Amino acid sequence: MKVSFPYMGSAIVYKKLFEFLEHEVIMPPKPTQRTMDLGVKYSPEFACIPLKMVMGTYLEAIEKGAKVLVTSGGHGPCRAGFYGDTHRNILKSLGYDDVELIIFDAPQDNWRAFFRNVQKIRNGVPWHKVINRMYTLYRFVQKLDELEKMVQKIRPYEVNKGQTTQVWNQIQEKFDKIKTRKQLYRVYEECKQMLLSIPTRKVDEKDRIRVGIVGEIYVVMESSINFGIEEILGNLGVEVERSLYLFEWINDNLVPWILRPKRFKEIIKKGQRYIKILIGGHAVETVGHIIDFKERGFDGIVHLMPFACLPELVTQSLIPKISKEVDIPILSLPIDEQTGKANMLTRIEAFIDLLRNRKRGKTKEVFIDNIQEHVQEERVVMV
Amino acid sequence: MKEIYIGVDVGSVSTNVVAIDRNVNVLFKTYIRTNGQPIDSVKEGVKQLKETLGDVEVLGVGTTGSGRQLAGAILGADVVKNEITAHATATIHFVPDVRTIFEIGGQDSKIIIIKDQMVVDFAMNTVCAAGTGSFLDHQAERLKIPIEQFGDLALSATRPVRIAGRCTVFAESDMIAKQQFGFSKAEIIRGLCDALVRNYLNNVGRGKNLEPPFVFQGGVAANKGIRAAFERELQSKIIVPEHFNVMGAIGSAILAKDYIEKTKARTNFRGFDAADIDFSTSSFECKGCSNRCEVVKVSMEGKVIAMWGDRCGKWTNSL
Repeated sequence: MKVSFPYMGSAIVYKKLFEFLEHEVIMPPKPTQRTMDLGVKYSPEFACIPLKMVMGTYLEAIEKGAKVLVTSGGHGPCRAGFYGDTHRNILKSLGYDDVELIIFDAPQDNWRAFFRNVQKIRNGVPWHKVINRMYTLYRFVQKLDELEKMVQKIRPYEVNKGQTTQVWNQIQEKFDKIKTRKQLYRVYEECKQMLLSIPTRKVDEKDRIRVGIVGEIYVVMESSINFGIEEILGNLGVEVERSLYLFEWINDNLVPWILRPKRFKEIIKKGQRYIKILIGGHAVETVGHIIDFKERGFDGIVHLMPFACLPELVTQSLIPKISKEVDIPILSLPIDEQTGKANMLTRIEAFIDLLRNRKRGKTKEVFIDNIQEHVQEERVVMV
Repeated sequence: MKEIYIGVDVGSVSTNVVAIDRNVNVLFKTYIRTNGQPIDSVKEGVKQLKETLGDVEVLGVGTTGSGRQLAGAILGADVVKNEITAHATATIHFVPDVRTIFEIGGQDSKIIIIKDQMVVDFAMNTVCAAGTGSFLDHQAERLKIPIEQFGDLALSATRPVRIAGRCTVFAESDMIAKQQFGFSKAEIIRGLCDALVRNYLNNVGRGKNLEPPFVFQGGVAANKGIRAAFERELQSKIIVPEHFNVMGAIGSAILAKDYIEKTKARTNFRGFDAADIDFSTSSFECKGCSNRCEVVKVSMEGKVIAMWGDRCGKWTNSL
């Protein structure tokens, strides 16, 4: 089967999954302006941006020859549960009758359908191999996420601008070639050394700014849709951490509730202080993570939401209250195909100034230091 | 030989250039219509500054506004800063106890909340530009009233007319309907000012606690009608600073001054000859990877002096 899938975050993980199941993988291209244009053209106008982007990705994957598209469904009152069927109908109306869309909904909603899907993508690979390879993949995701977290902490202090991102791209290429667990651990050590050997500036603890990125999974994980916000913040000298990483998502969603990590349950509990009922999407997790980031000493929060996303709109309306009670500045950025980059950059820059001020508690002095640290980044290179 | 710091604010509607001395006395200010020609308007501003002040020594240059990168490249700026920080810096200098800043420009409107001389919160319009300068310009044009007389006319109205202010186009439809009912121009303009202020406070100021003293700045602060509407809506006095329409530029000059004084650095200022040099900008789509960045290229007499917009730094660092 020529299999493809939506592109979100470290897409090599999904590629590995299907390679381990001995499919022919059609790697979807990382979303670009063209992906967006295609998606917007064929999607309902009031759908949110993840639906449109994924639609565009499907069309580009089909162009490359994909015959089967695999995706996850949604759960709860958020519209995402309906999106798989919407995509199916759009593909049908465009005349792609030979393309199959396999949607994995939450197993507890319909066990039978879930196992039917599992059998389809298992591709006849014997179960003992499947289990062994899935364990390798589990570790693969874990190691890749560990390296990404390192990247996010090194980037703000790099001496040569852009070097960390370059190394990160090389790391992903190396991981792409991994076939066995043994290789994985060797490559992981190699990559760790690559990251540690990047020259960095020494920065005082009191001058370090940490920002947590929270929100809906697609706009948080996919850099092509959020303007590469992690890099923008990194280049402004800010350490970032996302609320979502694939490894944690797997632990939180694919592991039975009883065995789920304690941390996830705690995050949900924190979120329920403000949102008591299940409203779908990632609203409760978003609020829980805001509180969690504050408790872990972060300086500010950037909240990303697809424009008109129901669960995140609920979060957004709670933000002034949360910001005040939890005592942490929060910048909410709605994202869709109409978002202008200039406006967003201005707000991000001003937000970071605000965080630096808060940390030092003196306006003048901080602005100057801030300029000194970032004049290189913000100033255009002069001849 | 006077020693000065220059601040430049390149916005959508106007380009402002100011010069301050060590004690932040404003020695020169100019307000030029950008007219979609940011490079020319920056040059024009610098030229006027030179003609007015004669021989000066420039110690530092700061740029801000949506054209900050471009202006920074042309002039050789020491500090390139976003306009929220720049505006707050200037206002805090002139009105130390300020709590809330209303800044309405050509297309952007912002609210900045200050506490103990520190920015603690801000908001900026994202989906709607109703109530900004461009819209007022357009309405003045349509009613055939010079924009300078707009405010006085609004003040002369005795009764208000309620105009829907949700969206500029609908506000316009509603104005036309009210004209057809027989309301006078003055009453309609006053109604428009009320609608715009309501819209701004509800949209941009949503969920924010607005505390006095209030300072109102930006180009639109020249409009007495809007000022009066703010005072009616907030039931409080509004401070309009003396240099209300060039506060962003003053702020960036102050930031440049602080930076130079602290670091003892020499300025990167290209000199006043920059006004006679031929600059041009172009952009291209980089095909190096799937990001397809839109890279901006600034050339000085045919030689590339600055590039930005590439996420990987390939072009920015290539110079």
